[in-house]
Parts: sequence; C-alpha cells; structure tokens
Amino acid sequence: MTTIAEGARVAMPHGVIDDRRGTWAMAMFIATEASLFVMLFFTYYYLRHVSRGPWPPEPPKMRLALIMLVVLLASSVVLHAGERAEKEGRKGTARLLVGATILMGVGFLVLQAVEYRNHLKTLLPTTDAYGSIFYTITSFHGAHLVLGVLMLVYVLALPEMGPNTKPPHRSLHNVSLYWHFVDFVWLLIVGLLYLAPNITR
Amino acid sequence: MRKDHAAIRRRLLALWERPHTLWGWFATVDHKEIGLRYLATAFAFLIVGGLEALAIRIQLARPEAAVLTPEQYDQIFTMHGVTMIFWYASPILSGFANYLIPLFSGARDMAYPRLNAFTYWTFLASGLFLYASPFVGQAPHAGWFAYVPYTLKEYSPGLNMDFFALALLFLTISTTAGAINFVTTIMRLRSPGMAISRMPLFFYSTFTISASIILSLPPLTAALVFLELDRQWGTHFYDTARGGSVMLWQQLFWFFGHPWVYIIFLPATGMISMIIPVFARRPIVGYTWVAFSTVLTGVVGFGVWVHHMFATGMTQMAMSFFSAASMTISIFSAVQVLAWVATIWQGRPVLKTPMLFALGFLLVFVIGGLNGIVTAAIPFDWQLTDTYFVVSHLHYVLVGANMLPVFAAFYYWLPKMTGRMLDERLGQWSFWLIFIGLNVTFFPMQILGLLGMPRRIYTYPAVTGWGSLNMLETVGAFVLTAGILLSIINFFRSMRYGVPAGPNPWNADTMEWETESPPAVYGSERVPVVATRHPLWDDFDEEFDPDDDRVFDEGRVTVVTSPLDAVPISIAKMPDDTLMPFLMAIAMTVLFTALLVKSMGIALAAVLACLIIAGAWLWPEAERQVPA
Repeated sequence: MTTIAEGARVAMPHGVIDDRRGTWAMAMFIATEASLFVMLFFTYYYLRHVSRGPWPPEPPKMRLALIMLVVLLASSVVLHAGERAEKEGRKGTARLLVGATILMGVGFLVLQAVEYRNHLKTLLPTTDAYGSIFYTITSFHGAHLVLGVLMLVYVLALPEMGPNTKPPHRSLHNVSLYWHFVDFVWLLIVGLLYLAPNITR
Repeated sequence: MRKDHAAIRRRLLALWERPHTLWGWFATVDHKEIGLRYLATAFAFLIVGGLEALAIRIQLARPEAAVLTPEQYDQIFTMHGVTMIFWYASPILSGFANYLIPLFSGARDMAYPRLNAFTYWTFLASGLFLYASPFVGQAPHAGWFAYVPYTLKEYSPGLNMDFFALALLFLTISTTAGAINFVTTIMRLRSPGMAISRMPLFFYSTFTISASIILSLPPLTAALVFLELDRQWGTHFYDTARGGSVMLWQQLFWFFGHPWVYIIFLPATGMISMIIPVFARRPIVGYTWVAFSTVLTGVVGFGVWVHHMFATGMTQMAMSFFSAASMTISIFSAVQVLAWVATIWQGRPVLKTPMLFALGFLLVFVIGGLNGIVTAAIPFDWQLTDTYFVVSHLHYVLVGANMLPVFAAFYYWLPKMTGRMLDERLGQWSFWLIFIGLNVTFFPMQILGLLGMPRRIYTYPAVTGWGSLNMLETVGAFVLTAGILLSIINFFRSMRYGVPAGPNPWNADTMEWETESPPAVYGSERVPVVATRHPLWDDFDEEFDPDDDRVFDEGRVTVVTSPLDAVPISIAKMPDDTLMPFLMAIAMTVLFTALLVKSMGIALAAVLACLIIAGAWLWPEAERQVPA
C-alpha cells in the first residue's frame, strides 16, 4: 500500500461558481428522449417490415411538412442569434429574439393543427397500424415542441437568462439545446415519414 | 488561521440541517435521509413480494391444491415478479448508491438534491399506485413481461393491465431522473484527487447502469405507451388484423428487459467488489479488469435481448448472433468472479457476516451463471423455455446476485447508517438459513424444469410425480423466510442493544468510514483529498488542511472536480430544502390516476399543476445565510 509522506496540497477553487450541472442534466435528458424517438422510428420500420399491404397505404402530402421544417430550422437560427446576443450582453436584443423563437414555435403548432385537420380526413390513428404510429410520432414531437415553447417562456420570465449565480444554471443555453434537438427530430420526421414514402413510391 | 472544530461544526450544521418539523420531513433534500427512505421502502416491497412468493409456494406445494383461485394465483405471481424486479431490486440499489456515493467521495450531497427527493417520492407514489390495484380486485395478471395479445382489452378487459402499464410508466420517470443524478454526481462531484483510476468499483457499476437506464428505459416507455393506446384509445400497434404486430411488444420489451437484468445486478457486484477486499484484508486483485468488465457487461447487455425470444422463430443468422453475444457476456462475469476468488485466495479472509453473504453470493451466482449459459445454446433453450428450469435460473441470478449482496451490504454498511453494530451470531444464523433455504427452494426447480413442469401453471395433476419436489421447495421457501426474519429482528435489536460502531468498525479502506457513524448531515467537515485507491489504508492525512481551505462553510456548497482526473474546478451551489419535489409527485399521482380512469380534464389539470410546480422548483430564491 502506497505511503505518502505529506498531504498533497491541492488548490481549492474558492469563488468559481459551477454553472454546468444544468447543462449535464439537459444533455442526458436529451439522450433519453433521443432514445425514445429512435424506438418510435424503429417501431415505424418494424411495422412496415411486417405489413402485408403497401406501406404507407397512401404517402402523406409534403408541402405543409416542408413549410413547417423551414419555420423550425429558421427558429433555431433565431434562437442561436438570441443566445449570442445574451453572451455579448445585448440583453434587450436577446429577449426580442427569444420572443421571436416562441412565436415561430407557436406558428409551427398552428401549421401542425392545419396539417392534422387535412390529414385526419383520410387517415385516423385508429384506421390501421400505420395511422397509429404516424400520429404517435408526430404528436409526440408536437408535445415536445409545446414543452420547448413553455421552457422558452419560462426563461424569458426569469430575472436573468444567462449564466447566473442563483440558480447556478445557464438557463437560455440549456433550453436552446433542447430546442435544437426537437428541431432535429422534425428533420428526421420529414425525411423518414414524409419524404421517403414519396420517393420510394 | 485555523478555525476551531466546534465553530466549523456549528456553521455547517446551520447550513445543512433541515428544520425538525413536519414541513422539514417532507422538504428534505439530504441524500442520507433520502437514501435511508429508499432502503426502507424497497425493503418493504421485498417483504410484500416475499409474502406473495409464499402464497405461490403454498398453492404449488401439493398437486391439485386450491388454496387460491386461478385468477388470484395469476395476480399474485404477476405482482410478485413486478414488485421484486421493479420496486425492490433496482430501488434498493439506488438506496445504497444514494446514501453512499456522496460519502465515498466526500461530497456534501448528490449533484441534483431536489431531483433526488423527487425520485424517491415518485418511486414511492408509483409503488402505492401499483398496490392500489389489489384493493379494487384488479391487480396485473399477465406475468411481469405482460405479453400481448393476452394483455389487450379483448382478453383482459379490466383495469389490471392499465395499472401495470401506468405504474411502470410512472416508475420509469423516477428511475431515469435517478440515473441522470448518479451520472453527474459520479462524474463531477468526486473528491479532489479521486481520478477514475482511484474510484471505488461501485462507482463503475453505478455509472454503467445509469448510462444503461438512460438509453434502455425508452423502449419500455414506448412499449407501454403503445399498450395503453391500444387498450384505451383504439390504436392498432399490437393488432395483427390491422397491420400491427405482437412481436413488436417482445422486441421492445426485451430490448429494455435485458439491460435491466444488468441494471439490477451490476451495482450489487460493485458492492461485493468493495466488501470482499475489506474482509480479505487486501486490495482487490485485477481492479482494472473488474472495472472494464463492468462497463463491457453494460455495453454488451444491449446486444443480447433476443435470447429471450429464441422460441418465436427467426433466421439462423439472427439466432447465432444472439446466442454468441449471450455467451460472450458471461466472459465478463467470469472475469469478476475470478478477481473475487483471487482476492480471497491471496488475502487473509475474516469470516464476518458480510463476508459470509459475499461468499454465498459467489457460489449461488456461479450456479445461476452456469444454468444460464446452457440456455444460451439454442436447442437446449427450445427444450427448456417456459419451464421451471428458467424460473430456477432467474431466481439463482436475482436472489444470488441481488438479494445476497444486498444483505452483505446491509450487514456491512448499516453500522455506518445507524451507528450500531448488528449481532454477529444472529447474522450468521440468518445467513445459513437464507443460504440453505434458497438452495432448497430453487435447486429442485431445475429438475422440475427438466421433467417438463411449465412455469406459471396454477396447479398440476398428481400423476406427473412433481408433488414431492414442489413440497420440498415450499419448505425451502419457509426456511428462507425465517432467515430474512432473523435479520429483521437483528436490525431492530441492534438499534437498542447494538454495540456502538465507531467510525470504522471493519477497518475498511474507503472514505465513508472516515466520518462518524452515523455521519453528520454535511458529511465530512473538510472535503477530503484522495491520493490513492485505498485512502484509509494508506499513510496519508486527508484532513491535513492548515489554512481551512477545504472547510467550505460559505454556504450550501460542495466542490466540483473534472470528470477524469478529479482536479477541483469550481464550487457548486446546492439548493435548499423545498416541498416542490413532493408536490410534483402528488400531481403526477393525480395525473396517472386520471389516465387510468380516462378522465382527461383532470389529467390536463394535473399536467398544468406539474408545470407550475416545476416553475416554482427552479425559480431563483434567497440563499441560506449563516452568521460568521
């Protein structure tokens, strides 16, 4: 067993406040959510694999989904600009850009409601297994986006959006990570659920 | 200027102690208090699950017995499995991890103390939710893996399987939050100097299973959501007539299910890897090998799920792959077993009760491992699937690799938690009764399995000749129960008559034994610096701190270190006590109850309540001030 003659002196970081724990939690939350969406996509392909008829019976219309994609991708850019403004100390601009992101998120949800209304005329979640998984994936994504909007509203209401001593989190940064993740999921949904069936047809 | 001991203590107590009121009891975020509650609650579930097992054994003791009705029998064996696997085996390990991990590393609390309180309250609430089902006579009744189509509305019209699905969904929230907490605590709150090459092996196992949980619970979530949607909202995920698939459930469930086996087993081996060296009086042999095989078990654990499904029909290629993967994983277990045996061989073993349980574990685990590995051979599996052979195997590994290590851990760490030693004689009696009882209960099951007794049958005719072995098993189950009872008596006796433990009764090597027993609410006074793998066996004064640099009494704070080398990098502010996690658990209970009875208005209100509580939980608040 090792013998150490003298207590090693390690300098203690007094006064440096940790603000990364929230980011770690958010990263792992995103990891588990990503795993959930992987499972949903797995289910989509598994059901497609075992389906006897054509899958999907009728490919979904692309137009609205693509517009929604543009809205979300743009919102990610706007939010990133907001985060940068916050970092550079332009607090007013930052709040304005976060507000714009929220509006774009709400816009997406309105478009999704329109898309659902059209889509439900020909396909219901109870029609067949395809309908079940299609609406489950898209509505799960919608619910995540609602959560993202609520988190952004909360950050906007916080006295301080950026690094803070109490609570010691980089609130805006953490929520942004989540927002970008939810955007990315929509990109996958458009690719796998909308684009692919239209191409392979 | 060195502050005096009493002054430091006074300040730390003022910072960390919760008010001794009813509010304080519900609002505490202290990892030790939460850890003890976890242990007590999970142990209560062990007792309930054990009583259910006794009911099963009484029913099966004689051929054509009718102690229970078939429906009661189905509900009881299902509740036994579900309780043991989900509400006992994993939470009891979380209890130890909660209590011990911050103490191992000299941290003042877990990384997310409020989230920690939340995981406990939701664990408790989900368990109570599950156990509301017998009171309305509709407990889950389709086995713990709840295969569709039996579990669809058509074949199970009651609330039984809705209780199952919703209670488990509720529990996954708790388990996932706990895992996130463990990862950050292990990666960022270790003592200065405790590089990953110096971590106690329990850190490796808890880290591995936490990562597993984060990635492997979502398949379960998905499977359960589909089940509820099919049952209550008319979708067709599992409905083969409308393009669904019953195999989808099995794929998703086992993709979760097999990692889960390691989730309830690896932390137990981590504890064994800490206990055996102490009683063998030498460091563990092959620390690096044990650490690597722990992590690799977690990784390869994701690639073996199909071995639960060999009997469902699949391509030769798929079967070969999963058969090979299943055999591979036993290599990592073998590495650990050899390391433990070598440690004992090279050491000077002291046969105290914790060591007895550890040795019992080794033996039982090897038997369980061997009768498991034969079922990785597909022809053998086809012969034995759904027989008592499998029941024997899973009980050997779960009782062997979870319950025995848990008892070893209780005998080892309870003196730290209560400050009192457990009685050695009672402990040894308890061990022998448990050890003999479990072998008498589970060994004959292998023979019955080979004779063809199917699992989950309600009863059997006398001509099968299974009667005497079944009677023997039932006797064994009662011996096992007597052993557990003896340990419970031992615990309550020790609280009254137990010899005071002192800081380090076992002369152990890790940091938790440096604190007083039971530890003060703030842990250790000075954040210790670790220079070796066995801090307390080495001639090194962790508390050497002439400038009071490591007192950290400026607020509720603890030290953050870098993930690999554990160099101190910053100070983490810790949150104060709050009622929010408790309220959140209540709101979620309302939500799941509303989903159970399909009352969507109340469900929506509960979601809103959750959001408001979350907002209050995270809102900036004044820090606790303590006069100098």
